[in-house]
Amino acid sequence: MAEDKGRILELIKRVLFTDFVKGLTVTLGYNVSKSITHKYPDEEKWVPYRRFRGVHTLNRTETGKELCVACELCSKACPTQCITVIPMEDDTGRGIADRVAKVWKVDLVRCLYCGYCEDACPTRAVRLSREYELACTDLSCTVRQREELLKPVQVPESFEGGVIAKSEFLRSKRGIKVKVDLSITRKRPL
Amino acid sequence: MPDTSTIIEFILIIVKAGAIAMVLFGLPLPLTWLERKIAGHIQVRLGPYRVGPHGLLQPFADMIKLLMKEDIVPYKADKLLFVIAPLLAMVPAFAVFAAIPFGEKVTIPGLDYELTLYLSDMNVGILYILAMSGLGIYGIILGGWASNSKYSLLGGLRSSAQMISYEIAVSFAVIGVVMLANSLSLLDIVRAQGGNILHWNILYLPVGPVWFFIFIIGSTAEINRIPFDLPEDEGTLAAGFHTEYSGMKFAFFMLAEYIAMVTVSVLAVILFFGGWNAPFYIPLPIPPIFWFLAKVSFFIYLFMWIRFTLPRYRYDQLMNIGWKILLPLSLVNVLATGLMRLYF
Repeated sequence: MAEDKGRILELIKRVLFTDFVKGLTVTLGYNVSKSITHKYPDEEKWVPYRRFRGVHTLNRTETGKELCVACELCSKACPTQCITVIPMEDDTGRGIADRVAKVWKVDLVRCLYCGYCEDACPTRAVRLSREYELACTDLSCTVRQREELLKPVQVPESFEGGVIAKSEFLRSKRGIKVKVDLSITRKRPL
Repeated sequence: MPDTSTIIEFILIIVKAGAIAMVLFGLPLPLTWLERKIAGHIQVRLGPYRVGPHGLLQPFADMIKLLMKEDIVPYKADKLLFVIAPLLAMVPAFAVFAAIPFGEKVTIPGLDYELTLYLSDMNVGILYILAMSGLGIYGIILGGWASNSKYSLLGGLRSSAQMISYEIAVSFAVIGVVMLANSLSLLDIVRAQGGNILHWNILYLPVGPVWFFIFIIGSTAEINRIPFDLPEDEGTLAAGFHTEYSGMKFAFFMLAEYIAMVTVSVLAVILFFGGWNAPFYIPLPIPPIFWFLAKVSFFIYLFMWIRFTLPRYRYDQLMNIGWKILLPLSLVNVLATGLMRLYF
């Protein structure tokens, strides 16, 4: 008897299209819900957490002296040998010691962003920043030189990260760039 | 020498036909945008967003792309049929609109001239529409046949089998409506549903809703939309009958498909939802065409909504539904409607 009752109930459900209506309600709910798409690069950009390993940056002290002493430990530690360091003597006070880097370049095509250079650095000069936009139209931009890496990064070390920040999409002759505004952020929706 | 009123009448008909054709040619542009937007939002995405504000110019970009594309005719394809097939699919879709009414007479303010919102009031309008929309299938079959590709051929075959099994159920559903209205003319069918929502065919209990569901299921199969889009089943047949088509020929197939969707929405509104009649009395001067367009847009939305909700049926399931459920159900329903007409 109970089985018959279940069967009849099943039939009534089928005739009234209950499953179909249930499915339609689910999709309608999604239709009116807010989209989770990041509007990258026009309006929003993901700012990663501090632990993120992006393009290298060479740091300075608070007084503006270069921290790098050209000890070449980073290039020795590098598993892909993508870092080239050539030291030179300098007593004008450019660095914290009188040995500074004449050349410090990294080949981003070979780099695997493992962070060993960061660990090997005795003066915490090499850090992996949170910059991850590496696309370009020729190979010239894949090698980053010391001068470029010494410039301050877009997202400072002190910034917490892990948020979506408001951004601006900039086109110029030199290429495209996405500028973030760290004061306007929102959490990632789940 | 015919008198001036005949000439004016003649010119008006040409102008109206031209206007309808222009609207129909333009209609797929907003509809493709809408479909992609709805797809996006149902999948919690945004849909087209970058070309113009909210992606509004995306259809124009697509159109330019289709126009510029290389027009490929496959080696060993039947050239003549291959070229004719998209036209055969498209022309009947347009021809259907010769019989579709959009409203009663309206008086143009200022000119004091009465304008009818339909091209012709055929006394067998619904029959003409069924016949014409059935012709559109030839384009699909021939397109599948001429392409010299197994996927296209299977798509065309499926299309014809599907048409045969579902056209019958749809025709029976239409017979039910004709029995209720005592006329084959679409204008009379709408007039018979005049008044408030209780007079609409969908609420002619208990047979009205059954007719409606038979009609909507059957016509979903006829216009090849999910869950019955087996002729272009991308999971198993690449793209079905239009696998080998590109450029403008492909666009013609898409055009025919979107117009067929509009036709079915319009028919559902006219046959079951009271056409341009207001659902209840509102003491405001709302033009009847507003109600008509609102109802049609709802049905268009419904078709897109269903498309991104349901999975596709298997081919044997499709045949089972057509022959074993819809056909017997519609026969029983014809009997029930007849008895109700006799005794109530």
